[in-house]
Amino acid sequence: MPVKAEIKPAEPAMDNASEGKTKDFTSSGYYPDDFLVTKLIKLNNLTFSYDKQNQILTNINLNIPTKQFSLLVGPTGCGKSTLLKILAKLYPEFAGQLSGTVTLGGLKAAMMFQNASEQFTMATPREEIIFALENLCLNKAQYLKQLNEAVQFTQIDYLLDQKINTLSGGEQQRVALAVLIAMNVDLFLFDEPFASCDPAARKFLIAKLAHLRDQGKTIILSDHVLAGYEGICDNLFQFQGKRLVQLSQAEQEKLLRKNTDSNSYTFVLPKENDRSCFTLQNVQIRQNRLLLKQEHLNIVSGKTTLITGANGVGKTSLFNALTKMIPYSGSITYHNREINKLSTRKYLLHVGQIFQTASDQFINVSVADEINLSKKKRTNSYFTDDKIAAALSSLELDSLLDHVVYSLSGGQQKKLQILLMLISDQDVLLIDEPLSGLDADSAVKVMSLLRESQKARKQTLLIISHELKNLADWCDYHLIFKDQHLTYTNK
Amino acid sequence: MNPSFKFILALIISIEISLKSSLLTNLLIIFFALIYLIYKHIKLSNLFLTLFMPLIAAFTVFATLYWFSSQPSLQNALSLSSRIYVYTLTIYCVSISTTATELARSFEQYFHLPSKFAYGVLAALNIVPRMSEAVKQIRTAGMMRGVYLSFWSPVLYFKAILVALNSAENLAQGMASHGYRENAKRSVIAAVPVKKSDWLQSIAILVLVNLALLTLK
Repeated sequence: MPVKAEIKPAEPAMDNASEGKTKDFTSSGYYPDDFLVTKLIKLNNLTFSYDKQNQILTNINLNIPTKQFSLLVGPTGCGKSTLLKILAKLYPEFAGQLSGTVTLGGLKAAMMFQNASEQFTMATPREEIIFALENLCLNKAQYLKQLNEAVQFTQIDYLLDQKINTLSGGEQQRVALAVLIAMNVDLFLFDEPFASCDPAARKFLIAKLAHLRDQGKTIILSDHVLAGYEGICDNLFQFQGKRLVQLSQAEQEKLLRKNTDSNSYTFVLPKENDRSCFTLQNVQIRQNRLLLKQEHLNIVSGKTTLITGANGVGKTSLFNALTKMIPYSGSITYHNREINKLSTRKYLLHVGQIFQTASDQFINVSVADEINLSKKKRTNSYFTDDKIAAALSSLELDSLLDHVVYSLSGGQQKKLQILLMLISDQDVLLIDEPLSGLDADSAVKVMSLLRESQKARKQTLLIISHELKNLADWCDYHLIFKDQHLTYTNK
Repeated sequence: MNPSFKFILALIISIEISLKSSLLTNLLIIFFALIYLIYKHIKLSNLFLTLFMPLIAAFTVFATLYWFSSQPSLQNALSLSSRIYVYTLTIYCVSISTTATELARSFEQYFHLPSKFAYGVLAALNIVPRMSEAVKQIRTAGMMRGVYLSFWSPVLYFKAILVALNSAENLAQGMASHGYRENAKRSVIAAVPVKKSDWLQSIAILVLVNLALLTLK
């Protein structure tokens, strides 16, 4: 029976400074001497479980140096989010049982969630920042100073008074970062903060975080995509099975260099006489502002088209318009029939959307229920029961059949979601960020599932993704969404 | 005017006209409330809706007291049914010029409404548009998997409740992650001020209403 949680409260900085110095001499050997003056975040014999049967973290002993940039990597579902929430002191207060101790070396911590949209109490970014700073008992002058700093740092001045629920996923992540910066905490905990960021925004934000580190802040961040951290990340901690180990400097550099994305890609352009699946004529899509103004566009049938574009440009809204969830003006036809005139029920059996947030896709409670529902409704002969069983075991979901879908980790939900929609019969799948939240291994498996199914069933796939590295050699065409326009490109 | 003042003023007026019956006072309040609403540029469709919806209740009261009562009195029937308009219109006047955030913050600052309650309600209100989107998304998700969820389908609401529970859990953690602690002291950055004019206006309105109640039939 684990001992009920005991996280030591943050103590005054003075006490911890002395504690850090005396105790660090006895800590494990692989830190160079100059860390002796650095305070450490210490995890001692940390064990955590959500329920009695499954321990998600077992006997973790770890020292994380402060004032540095530490990266946390590991396969989907290994406990990265859990560990971050423990450091943020949200667990075990809100869930689970913990034994062992966690000391933050007197640092004030705040965390940015994997799903940023669920972190806001108030309606607008400005109100949220006021709420957070009132919680910290700041006065108005301090607020104005911090607000100004946070807004300049993250460049969100144009978003300050917009409703948060109308912002795009990437914009919400940027706002969430601004709140943490305004709170002026010492320890920043990020759970896959760039999952819905385009490469430019990602680069911008990583540079910003490095800048925070240089100002003396501690950054701990979990991510699956390792591009862009070379030369910035100080420490890399990797989950290996149940253990969490720090990689040596050489191993770390090797891993980060391997993942640096410097390739250029080539695509072909669609031909005039390719059979089209969707045709857009004078289409306008609006969500608060004009997102798309397209005179003409053909989406080629039976092929895979990649759509890229900056955050908030309207990629998801395009998909929502194609599945009739939001209105459009002009004409969008599916095999020469106006989609607004088709019965939604029948149309959606042909055109499916794989949502950005995996849990939106689920309509049942347990993993097994979801799989059985899809089995019952399928009419295609491609996904046989055997094939489904094989896919489940390859995606490492077979041991989770009796779990509630909402209790799965972000990556596990994503894998299940994609499998369910593949079993379904759609000729067209609109796939919104299929690889976000997936570790490299899972990403490869998901890609090969998509690929095989597309090849065998000649499905039309439209994929929104920022991860060119995995998708570029597979996708046939590449559409760039920029300045309210979609344009085919050969790059 | 300070949102709390507005709210309490509307409450006092409603209670007073419930205790003392005066048709003319009711009509005067209705008249001024309408002027105020028009001055605030409410949409014509909203105005019609506000006048139409209470009609059902007002008509029922009127019919009971005038046609089905043993001692029918036109004065009494009109007075009681017009009260319903006073209630709806005064509250509409409060809500048209106040956002939920302002009202909650004002209650927190002046009436020591527990912050947990104030921000819990606000957060919940901010989830409402997300919930309606979620319901739409659930129906779409269902249709894509060959399951049609009608608006009275229990599955739809079961799933909506799951989404809400999940959001509530995350929201509580989200509030904590932004430094919120129950019962902890909070500062006031965006103060909702109480001005001298708020007092003067409230007192003036109350005096006028009471004078009308005492003198008019």
